Amino acid sequence: MKAFKISNTTELWQKETSLPAVVSFSQSLDNILGTNGFQLGSITELLGLPGSGKTQLCLQLCASVQIPKLLGGLNAEALYIDTNTNFTITRFREILSASLLRCQTILGEPLQMTEDEALSKLHYVNAFGLEKFCAFMYRLPKFIEAHPNIKLIAIDSIAYPFKDGISTKQRTGLLFRQMAELQRIAVQYQVAVVLSNEMSTRVGLSGGAVVGSLGDAWAHRCNVRLLLSTPQVTQDPTERLALLLKSNVAPSTVARFKITEEGIRDAE
Amino acid sequence: MQKLKAQNFHNLSESVIRTLAQNRIVTLLDFLQEDVSKLTLLTKLSLQDVLTIRNEIFTRYSAPLINGTALLTKVYQSRYRISSGIDSLDSITNGGFPVRHITEICGLADSGKTQMCFQLAVNVAKDDNGTVLYVDTKGDFSAVRVQKMLEAQGYSHKDMASIMYRIRVVHIWTMEDMVELFKGIKNKSLEIKNLALVIVDSLPCLMFQHLGDDNKMGLSFLNILVNYSRFIANEFNVAIIYINIQTRWIDNDISDLEDDAESTSAFKEPAYIEKKNRCLGKYWESVPVLVIQLEKLDYSSKENETCTQLKASVITSNITQSNNSQCILNLSIMGVT
Repeated sequence: MKAFKISNTTELWQKETSLPAVVSFSQSLDNILGTNGFQLGSITELLGLPGSGKTQLCLQLCASVQIPKLLGGLNAEALYIDTNTNFTITRFREILSASLLRCQTILGEPLQMTEDEALSKLHYVNAFGLEKFCAFMYRLPKFIEAHPNIKLIAIDSIAYPFKDGISTKQRTGLLFRQMAELQRIAVQYQVAVVLSNEMSTRVGLSGGAVVGSLGDAWAHRCNVRLLLSTPQVTQDPTERLALLLKSNVAPSTVARFKITEEGIRDAE
Repeated sequence: MQKLKAQNFHNLSESVIRTLAQNRIVTLLDFLQEDVSKLTLLTKLSLQDVLTIRNEIFTRYSAPLINGTALLTKVYQSRYRISSGIDSLDSITNGGFPVRHITEICGLADSGKTQMCFQLAVNVAKDDNGTVLYVDTKGDFSAVRVQKMLEAQGYSHKDMASIMYRIRVVHIWTMEDMVELFKGIKNKSLEIKNLALVIVDSLPCLMFQHLGDDNKMGLSFLNILVNYSRFIANEFNVAIIYINIQTRWIDNDISDLEDDAESTSAFKEPAYIEKKNRCLGKYWESVPVLVIQLEKLDYSSKENETCTQLKASVITSNITQSNNSQCILNLSIMGVT
């Protein structure tokens, strides 16, 4: 018979509070999440229209995961699963060096790391198309086992591989199987998972017609859902809003942040 | 079906059982179905003895007969409701969640189901000295949140620790594991002392993994799970709460299809009917004896910003007198009250 690990809440509390979360470099954004950043062990879904900053936030988090332990960071690696070819390495390099530079200024001494070393801490996968994506998801448990220092998995975007060539029922089945596996990895190895998702239109819905894609059952699956949007009236075109749609720790509130050349920062 | 064993029947010796096994009579059922005269030949027992064994099997393994009085005393002697610790919720459910039965809490995503579960786990663990088993299928259990709820309610560190100690969490990722877990509890190979409440958050996360399969594996797992749940609920006097989700379906109102194409229909607001649908299908629909639906109400006034209102309504129930009773709950830092 299989042995089940039944832990009491005190043990879990110690586990949950022993490691820091992945910060976004925007304090107001970290604060509304209630966990001072993107919690390890849970799946966060980023929703938003094109241009609302989903990919930028993913890139920033991939850089933030490298913050040295001295500054309360994780000093870890990131895995970026790119399904819609939105990733650009030059932009990531920009954000990464800005983030590391900031750490240097706070520390007051140069980091013991070259840019090449820092860049090598990003594992990039181009999983374009449903077959490639599923094949990689199948290999993921082994990959994480072989790279225990990965503390962040970003999938940009989760909806893209499922756009065509699969029936709705099969899609839900497959997605829930993959998410169960992903969540198991997240909890077991204490990894933060960030997914980006697109918006879709459902005509006639009482709560507003524009909702996240993949349906109501999917909305139930992620632990945290964050809706990003561009404010309509604003002086600053780089400013963005984040609304916490769903969370198991924090009430629903709004944060302001902006996307600068250096990455995600607080809006003044 | 169970195998024939020598120690259960004094007339059957090991050698006789071996002879029977050679003639493909292995289980109790094989024994009952075999011709009696053939059995006497094989076992070299008298006809009378074979008939005694048959009767013994019948009395021992058939469903037991209990009369009404005995049943009522049994129910009165053990508790039959677990208080949810929330007064308004207790009043619409006639005193809490039914022990020895399956309850369902359903709602749309972000309607407060998980928060409700945390609160129930805390309330049962603090009042009853009972242990709560929290089956987490989507990594949603947050010990930090539970600790914050207890802190906001003003518990001392010592109480907090003992309450948190009595909430046991197990992560389950597949339907196979879920069935295994319940089997373990049923067989008492997995012992949890003072078990009072089992919360499964949530079942669709496991069941949806089997969507799109042609082999109906999911349904057969669900059936086994329901049977184990009922057995566990009865045997250990616990209440079992399953979390189910709802999805929304939109029907286009087609009443004006018969109108002329050029008539006023072009100016009419299109009519859509939004339906909420409990997941998990027809079979599950009638399994829980009590179904509570949660809805999040939009908070209208600014002063309520720290607190969200939830509407809980009983939608089907075999155990309360009135259906469709509702109450309003508040969700805040302190939890659900």
